[in-house]
Amino acid sequence: MWRYAARRVGFGGIQILAVALLAFALVEALPGDAAVALAADDPDPRTIARIRERMGLDQPVTVRFWEWLTGLFRADLGTSLVSGRPVTDILAAALAPTLTLAAIALALLLPLAVGLGVLAALREGGAVDRAITSASVSLYSVPEFALAIVLVAVFALQLGWLPPTAVGVSSLLAQPAVLVLPLVVLLARPICSISRLVRAGMIEALGSDYVEHAHRLGLSGRRVRYAHALPNALAPAAAQISRTTDWLLGGVVVEAVFVIPGLGTELVNAVAARDIPVIQGLALLFAMTTVAVNLAADLVAFRLAPRTEVVA
Amino acid sequence: MNAPPSPSHLSSGQAARPPRPGPVRDVVAVVLVAVPLGLALLGPLVAGAAPERTQPFLPDAGWLGSDFVGRDVWRQVLLGGWSIIATALCATVLAYLVGAPIGLAAAMTRRRWVDEALLRPLDILLALPSLLLMLLLASIAPPTAWTVVGIVALINLPDVARIVRAGALEVARRTSVEAMWLQGESRVAIAVVFIGRAVLRTLAADAGVRVVGAFYLVAAASFLGVGTGPDTSDWAVMVDVNRDGIFLTPWGVLVPAMLLVALSMGLNLLFDRLLSRRRHEEHTL
Repeated sequence: MWRYAARRVGFGGIQILAVALLAFALVEALPGDAAVALAADDPDPRTIARIRERMGLDQPVTVRFWEWLTGLFRADLGTSLVSGRPVTDILAAALAPTLTLAAIALALLLPLAVGLGVLAALREGGAVDRAITSASVSLYSVPEFALAIVLVAVFALQLGWLPPTAVGVSSLLAQPAVLVLPLVVLLARPICSISRLVRAGMIEALGSDYVEHAHRLGLSGRRVRYAHALPNALAPAAAQISRTTDWLLGGVVVEAVFVIPGLGTELVNAVAARDIPVIQGLALLFAMTTVAVNLAADLVAFRLAPRTEVVA
Repeated sequence: MNAPPSPSHLSSGQAARPPRPGPVRDVVAVVLVAVPLGLALLGPLVAGAAPERTQPFLPDAGWLGSDFVGRDVWRQVLLGGWSIIATALCATVLAYLVGAPIGLAAAMTRRRWVDEALLRPLDILLALPSLLLMLLLASIAPPTAWTVVGIVALINLPDVARIVRAGALEVARRTSVEAMWLQGESRVAIAVVFIGRAVLRTLAADAGVRVVGAFYLVAAASFLGVGTGPDTSDWAVMVDVNRDGIFLTPWGVLVPAMLLVALSMGLNLLFDRLLSRRRHEEHTL
């Protein structure tokens, strides 16, 4: 276990370093003079000079990379080209709405996905199984923004049950009604993929020799199902959480549709404005989160079923 | 390590197979695909000349009202489908064209470091959420449709290379391939003619999932404004730009959104059907 964990942490570290390198390389990849390219919409010499100074573009690449890398350890990610605010301040301000959304989504995801998967597996071939399987097949990979618009049209505009966006809401938790539609949209994809895996794993486990053996030992059906079959069915699901990290970023689109002032909205705005320091900071933050979640999920999968070593 | 890229690959063994889809589900799937696909492909042919622009978000203008700059929404719907579909298809093809040789080379080589050198960088790429990768690359690339094709292909590259490698490894270790080696057949001939043909089956099973995934990414990219110029107008862009008028002319947002939802739901169902039939055939053979 510890050897696997150590190797896995090492690989995660390399991944984060690679993203740092990639994020830094973004500026180098800009065609021509980076400062001129970034000032594209406003080619005023003063603007160009300001960008050059803020990003230290008059220094050689190696110096800049070293500065940037050491800056990371001092939690200094530079300043925004647009607003001039420190990037860390921008990230800190946008963190709360995104974390709120992600935490609730994660808390709901596992019980719902596992529950639906187990339910379908226990009723294999029946109407309930058919309904759950059809829904999870068809809803997987539906673009979030389109699903969101359809749901808004039905539940906010037609029925008037829920607010259409989070515009004018000071705190998400103060008015939980604004969270309902974003959460449904955010959860649609991961629930589909994970519940299918739980279903498949559960059916396989229920038909296996060890479950038959447990039955022969005289254990109760409930005990066999939930204490013996289920943990084995969960291992591939845990691994899948680590593979489909897309849903973490599905938040970007969801935030954009429901006008939630979180990290996703900051990322979309920064990309539109070519605010490179902010993009770099966000990329690093998202990469670190992704790697951390992957790591946790892989370790859980390994703990549940040590034979499935996920990364060689 | 070779984790399935999507759940439809999983069902290992007979026990875990999904229930056989009924005829109702098939009809629903065909309708869900046919309507948006028909509009997307035939739309540009029947759209005709642009009528004069009216005021923005006018509910009475034309059949579905007018959009954010006063264009006829129905005409935009007719015109806005094919570019998303074409972009998704191009990206999928490009991912296969580049990824398949990488996967084949990694499977064929007898040197471990070549295998590592080809696939390790892709692992690092895989660790990033694809939308993040897309937004990162989009922040420096010129905003054209080809940029989106390139980015979506790149995002799919690791999966394609891995799947091809896994499929080819199985074949490459067969005795018949050993025999071809011994007979002095060239490496390229073996890769292309023998192993490549065997891998095609794996790819055919994977292609559906890949196309749906590409469609999802292209739509999300368009919605977020990646690769779209000021004149671009596909269904995803329509949802974005007409959102402000949803209270006045809901159809300008809702129709393109429903078409996108219908198409991806239908494609998911249809490809799942093809896969389960293929599995069924493999079991009965």
